[in-house]
Amino acid sequence: MALKLPEGDLKKRLDGYLSGFRNRHGLEEGETAGNSVRVTVRPGDIRSVLTTAREDLGIMHLSFITVVDLKGSFGLTYELLDLRGGIVKVRTSIEGTEPVIDSVTRVYPTANWHEREAYDMFGVAFRGHPDLRRTFMWQDHFDHHPLLKEFEINTKRTFEGLR
Amino acid sequence: MLGEERKLREGAPTLSGRVSARLANPDIRDEFGLEAMDMNMGPQHPAMHGLLRLILELDGETVVRCDPVMGYLHRCQEKIAENRMYPQIVPLTDRLDYLAGMMNEHGYCLAVEDLLDVEIPPRAEYLRVLVSELMRLASHIPSVGFLMLELGAFTPILYAFREREQIQSYFEAICGARMMFHYIRIGGVKADVPEGLLEEIYEYVDGLGARFQADLVELVVGNEIYISRTKGVGMMTPEQAVEIGVTGPPLRGTGVGFDSRRDYPYSVYPELDFDVITDDAGDVAASFRVRIKEVFESIKIIKQVIEKMPEGAVLGDTGRRLRPKEGDGFGRVESPRGEFAVHVVSDGSDSPYRVHYRDPSFANMMLLQEVIPGHYLPDIMPIMGMIDPVSGGWDK
Repeated sequence: MALKLPEGDLKKRLDGYLSGFRNRHGLEEGETAGNSVRVTVRPGDIRSVLTTAREDLGIMHLSFITVVDLKGSFGLTYELLDLRGGIVKVRTSIEGTEPVIDSVTRVYPTANWHEREAYDMFGVAFRGHPDLRRTFMWQDHFDHHPLLKEFEINTKRTFEGLR
Repeated sequence: MLGEERKLREGAPTLSGRVSARLANPDIRDEFGLEAMDMNMGPQHPAMHGLLRLILELDGETVVRCDPVMGYLHRCQEKIAENRMYPQIVPLTDRLDYLAGMMNEHGYCLAVEDLLDVEIPPRAEYLRVLVSELMRLASHIPSVGFLMLELGAFTPILYAFREREQIQSYFEAICGARMMFHYIRIGGVKADVPEGLLEEIYEYVDGLGARFQADLVELVVGNEIYISRTKGVGMMTPEQAVEIGVTGPPLRGTGVGFDSRRDYPYSVYPELDFDVITDDAGDVAASFRVRIKEVFESIKIIKQVIEKMPEGAVLGDTGRRLRPKEGDGFGRVESPRGEFAVHVVSDGSDSPYRVHYRDPSFANMMLLQEVIPGHYLPDIMPIMGMIDPVSGGWDK
């Protein structure tokens, strides 16, 4: 099998990931807790930090992307797995009500659908995404993003332009 | 409508190397002057595992482009969860991937318990593993039957459902419901199992292996039609599989031994003895070989759990009002289809600020878009069977 998965002591590996992020990006706030490494990055750095994780540290699997609407800003959590017990949680936050962030599909192709889902539910635009369409909601005539906090569940929605 | 969608898709890259020249230029004509043909498959299709529409672009009988359209069963579970209290969300998770209800409940409860200081009694942990593994049996055995049904053989599904019905009746004895369980609670499980049931389950799984081998495996696996329809179909290299983000049996079928039960241990799995099954071929047949062997591993786990089952309480004390501390809770379990993860964000109130489900069906479905181009139209069904997706799972 050509694919090489990480081996060795989990604690040492996590420290290696953390120092790898520190050396390349100077992330001082990073910490290890249990079986995970948590780092907080600026939104502009997200693609380069995840490139470091994929190319240099060899963390191959992107598990999911969580977006949280913090009313005025958006918090994003990228959860990466090395498939052998280690977790890396990369956090960032985007200010403003029209969020834009770099897409990581070039680094982790699986991010394609996770980013489409985030766009569908929150309206987060991923710059450089090859195929940014809605996943679950209607493709046209529906301009709302249902997981935003301002989306009231009891309000009747209209489909503009649709008879 | 289809023309518009194609325009949106222009310039999108694919990972698969098995594409014809049509993929690079959809307007190219063949020697008869014919363009590629668009075709809709689904959403109402008898072999579609629920409601899924595939927009296919065909070059003769070869699929050039496959574009899954989801959302026909979308209930916005994550929005509903933001408006419910923590314990009220547990029964809703049953409706996600309804062939793996116990795993969904377990994953959600692990995420909330991550934020709470609650001690889970050992008997509850063992009962959680017991019902999870029964659930895995009730999902893996029919998946073989479903595949054969889609390939045109009706008999195997009957044998598969005989076993599933029996397991569901055990669930009914344990928690009163056959599919929508609400059995695993935050802090433990709802109730102890009835007296004598553990012995009955032990006896049942003891004979299940031989029955499964005789009735299903030997009927299906050596069959010439089965081999010709599954061998070499849906081939992926390990690198491709990891890139696409596939987990579960399709990933293990390519040789990558990733199983959350071993690699991200939870509950009492570290105390149990089981193997992570892998296969090197990377096609549909390999993923089904993995599933078939995993049935025997689950039987092994259930036997150990019943032998080691400790006495005691089954529900820890979480207090009358459940208010987890502020922060993020994560839970990850191995569902029959792959890695199921839950992320709960709490702001210290009665209901979660945000719940996010990472469903294996949703993530694995990207495989359709990447692997199907280059295959023949009838190969779509075995490839769908390889993922074995569940509509409630991918649509949340």
